Amino acid sequence: MENILLQTKNLLKLKDSSSKTLEKTNNHRKKLKKLVKSIWVFNWFNSCGFTEVLPVVGSRWDMERFGLIPVSSPRQADCLIIAGYQTIKSIKVAKLIYEQMPAPKVVVSLGSCPVSGGMYWDSYNTIKKLSDYLPVDLNIPGCPPRPEAIFDGIHRLIQKVNS
Amino acid sequence: MEGLISKIKSKFGAEILKKEKNQIWMKINNKDLINICNFLKENGFDFFSCLSAIDILENNIIELVYHLWSQEKKTILNIKTEISREKPEINSISKIYTASQIHEREIHELFGVNFLGNSDLSELFLEDWSGPAPFLKDFDWREYVREKFYNKENENEKGYYN
Ligand code: SF4
Repeated sequence: MENILLQTKNLLKLKDSSSKTLEKTNNHRKKLKKLVKSIWVFNWFNSCGFTEVLPVVGSRWDMERFGLIPVSSPRQADCLIIAGYQTIKSIKVAKLIYEQMPAPKVVVSLGSCPVSGGMYWDSYNTIKKLSDYLPVDLNIPGCPPRPEAIFDGIHRLIQKVNS
Repeated sequence: MEGLISKIKSKFGAEILKKEKNQIWMKINNKDLINICNFLKENGFDFFSCLSAIDILENNIIELVYHLWSQEKKTILNIKTEISREKPEINSISKIYTASQIHEREIHELFGVNFLGNSDLSELFLEDWSGPAPFLKDFDWREYVREKFYNKENENEKGYYN
């Protein structure tokens, strides 16, 4: 077992030195790093929240270029994106999805609704603060947030993970 | 069509409120509902399209409107009937029109109307609901929300109590 580990380590080293020519500057490498890191996201949308992330999925802002890949099962996901308000019924499912995701995992919420209830602050059937129900790592505010804001948020998330 | 209308009038004492091309509004006694639905289904109105409810607080009634469609006659029939707000009860038509089951379930959830004979009146959207029927006009939803979700002592939530 140890042997195999050593071998792979050596291999990696080799790869590193051979690809040195590719790394032009430090800056360039940093940028490339961003492209390499992929976050597999599970999307849980059930409100106007869906429109919040839709442009990011489309070709204009194409999130897959930056490694954000939507997956179809929570068991493969690193990141749970909850867009918009949750009802008392749907938050139960959101919790179930969260529990099904393997650790380490992060939760990102989009929009102002998951922070304070947003424009549904006086609705009898939506929950008001998502953080009362799930450990939210990042909230991207806006109603709905711009795609730029979403990318900025994801960038911060990657930074947080790296540090 | 004219023959059918006069038959309903004479047989069940229905009152025709309004007639338009392809649309008829009528008012019936809530006790006749099952008989009328049976009669209409035999006479071409075999499609149950929708059930709506209106809470009329001033008159202390809930008005139910059954929308039936006939493909053969290309006509929609809106049957209005009233039930009291104190005892909102009416016979279910789900045995006649199967599609009405889920409509009745929804109206039961939102207006608290009890449909006698419906097989399943459990919650549809409002899981764990403890308040009164939310679509009734005398339901103070803001008060309900304040009580359920907010705390007056919380500095950030004070604004909701003005
Ligand atoms: S933040 Fe705005 S866009 Fe997003 S779910 Fe709430 S109301 Fe809809």
